Amino acid sequence: MNILLLLVPISLLLLGVAIWAFVWAVRRGQFDDLDTPALDILVDDEHDPPPARRHAD
Amino acid sequence: MAARVSDMDALLHDARRPTPATCYHCGEAAVTGVQRVVGQSTHAFCCEGCAAAAQWIADADLGDYYRLRSQNANRVDPAALDLGAWDRDDLLDGHARVVDGGREITLLADGMRCAACAWLIDRALTRQAGVLEASANAVTGRIRLAWDPAKTSLSRALRCLVALGYRPYLATGTAQEDRRRRERNRWLLRVGVAGLGAMQAMMFAEALYLDTTHQMPLPTRDFLRWMTFLVATPVVFYSGWPFLSGAWHELRQRRPGMDTLIAGSTLLAYLASLVETVRGGPHVWYDAAVMFVFLLLVARLFEQRARGIASAQVDALARARPTLATRECDDGRRESIALSALGVGDIACVAAGEIVPADGVLLDAPARFEEALLTGESQPIGKAPGDSILAGTVCRDTPVRMRVTETGAATRLSQLTALVERAQSHRPRLALLADRVASRFVVGLLLIAAATWLGWHWMQPARAFEVTLALLVVSCPCALSLSVPAALAAAHGALARIGVLSVQPDALERLARATDVVFDKTGTLSNGRPTVADVDTFDGFDGDLAWRIAAALERDSGHPLASAFAARVGTAACSASDVKTIAGAGVRGRVDGNKWYLGHARFATGGDDDDDGIWLGDGTRAMARFELRETPRADAAATVAALHALGLRQHLCSGDAPAPVARLAAHVGISEASARQTPESKLAVVRDLQHHGRIVAMVGDGINDAPVLAGADVSIAVGAGAALAQRAADFVLTGDALLRIPEAIALARRTQRVIKQNLGWAIAYNLLAVPLAVAGLVTPWIAALGMAVSSLTVTANALRLTRTAP
Repeated sequence: MNILLLLVPISLLLLGVAIWAFVWAVRRGQFDDLDTPALDILVDDEHDPPPARRHAD
Repeated sequence: MAARVSDMDALLHDARRPTPATCYHCGEAAVTGVQRVVGQSTHAFCCEGCAAAAQWIADADLGDYYRLRSQNANRVDPAALDLGAWDRDDLLDGHARVVDGGREITLLADGMRCAACAWLIDRALTRQAGVLEASANAVTGRIRLAWDPAKTSLSRALRCLVALGYRPYLATGTAQEDRRRRERNRWLLRVGVAGLGAMQAMMFAEALYLDTTHQMPLPTRDFLRWMTFLVATPVVFYSGWPFLSGAWHELRQRRPGMDTLIAGSTLLAYLASLVETVRGGPHVWYDAAVMFVFLLLVARLFEQRARGIASAQVDALARARPTLATRECDDGRRESIALSALGVGDIACVAAGEIVPADGVLLDAPARFEEALLTGESQPIGKAPGDSILAGTVCRDTPVRMRVTETGAATRLSQLTALVERAQSHRPRLALLADRVASRFVVGLLLIAAATWLGWHWMQPARAFEVTLALLVVSCPCALSLSVPAALAAAHGALARIGVLSVQPDALERLARATDVVFDKTGTLSNGRPTVADVDTFDGFDGDLAWRIAAALERDSGHPLASAFAARVGTAACSASDVKTIAGAGVRGRVDGNKWYLGHARFATGGDDDDDGIWLGDGTRAMARFELRETPRADAAATVAALHALGLRQHLCSGDAPAPVARLAAHVGISEASARQTPESKLAVVRDLQHHGRIVAMVGDGINDAPVLAGADVSIAVGAGAALAQRAADFVLTGDALLRIPEAIALARRTQRVIKQNLGWAIAYNLLAVPLAVAGLVTPWIAALGMAVSSLTVTANALRLTRTAP
């Protein structure tokens, strides 16, 4: 059972890392808009914008 | 007729997909017949503006927008908007931050209706030369735009936004928005910490539970217990802080409620576990404490989110404020000043097309104002000198001077904003009811708990503590308190998705109980754009000439009918001089040397044929009479049929003349129609229905219906601007589709059913669990499990509402 003395602190460490990552994500605004980024995955990769008709106006 | 019916069927099935008769871009009726090849196929458009926007989107290879969107776009106004003000240094200095390589500004855009809009704006802006970064948020309607002033100007970047149908406004309430975001982030952090912590604590707890035969060495057991304590502590005190402070608040007011019970149970489980850990007792209950905090936090987060969606829309009102005002100095010089510098008594100048900066009194000359945002009335309203004009309205046609009477928070617009916000901060009445029930429940429960403890202490002192704890945990009415907010949150979310915004907090319940629907005709069932159907002439007067004269008179009046006349006549119109509009009567002017009057019968002909036609005459004799007709909205008949299927009686109350009202009623299928109704008589109709025990839902569209909307049991306003300004309205249709009304009613009824099921379940659970717990048959961990299962059951039941299928 001595392995627990290693594994339990490791799990706590991982917990700490997970919480840190979550705090980082919230602070960086990753959760501000949950709808728009979801659309990106539905769209093919960006093509180069077609050269025709650059709108001057 | 057959074509119309099939259109309605299509609309009934999917109102978002453009049918041949509707504009490909904005979904409005495409009556003008603009046809364009966009992408691979030809589409119909309602106007040049929409066609240009669709063309632009196709050219920019962003056609995916039409596939992704869940709501129709805004109608694009083809008229160019003067964006010059956005390049002014005083505006940029005040609102644009300097960032690396350029400046950054936060804007609000109206018409951002779904995530696809934000996606489109993102892409469209980012592709502009000189734009460094652009990100749009569909929830708040905000756009963050960073650009390089050396390469492009702000107005050029914004022009693309305008061409797509989104009007930019300066984000005024940034401090408030920041506060809201920080608050939301704090909740997210609490939930995240609670979730991760609860997961970890459950793992340790599981190890302890699985040791059923007590073979685990005591040091290992204590080690695991201390670890659980370590993980549970931040969950209870950081994540659970809202409950702890809420309980403190409730206790100080001597009104124990939900929070007292939640905090009490959590703290009891936590502290009892700590005591057991220290003295090496047989049980710990950290897991119960952390799961409890986590589940309840998630429920609260859902509830807040539902109300947050509505509050984002309040910003539409804040948007109406202009950022700069023009003040006339004593010496007649004009200066441009910040809005906040404008004071009461100042003379302000408003250019045509600009927004009135403050409430005030019109000076000099009559002018017309568009009050759509405040009243929902899309037609401009004529005002004479001395009339009061309101901040947020748009000045049309002519520049005006005004004397400021109210500024800032004292304006009608600000008051309306405050009203909407106040309504939103209310807690729903049903939730309050659950709270009241819970409060009594708490007191009763504490008494039972005390009695249980005494009883067990007397009979079997060793188990007294454990049984009492189990009782408190098992009976915690969290299913009871979750049942209503979870259902309401799910229902509000589903409503918002179909484009119905709930403004008043407890309206859903009343909507579910509605038995009668009263329509106000103008702009509700019809599309508000009358057309001239026919002309009758008198004394052998030439019909074509009547058309030409009318077109000439109307041409410069800016009247909504002008385009109807012009379309009929084309280029063959006569020319008119000395044209003068008489408010509430008609137009007068000189055509080919003769004086003509066009308007109401009394005005144009001197007679008193009071009907809804437009008369052409020379002031004494009638020459021609034009028949006006309002086109019903495309989905009006389908809506009436759907409401009928829901068992609702429908009435039509209109201020118009009997003939057109009867025609419209027959067309859409409403049997009870009354015409020539004043707001008072409409209210009397509603009162009469209520007197007979009916519950009336009123569908209206403007401030002229305010008494009726307020008098009805539940009111639905059509058109976003109208309803937000309309403090009496309970619901707002954000889109134009009337079919949302029957959908919303059906959803409201389902919500009531779910709430009843949830309350029934929660009460039944407690009735069963409490006696068992008092009898000592429930151990604390079974109690925690039962509590969690019952909470999850009510939440899952509520989530059924988010599925939009009936």
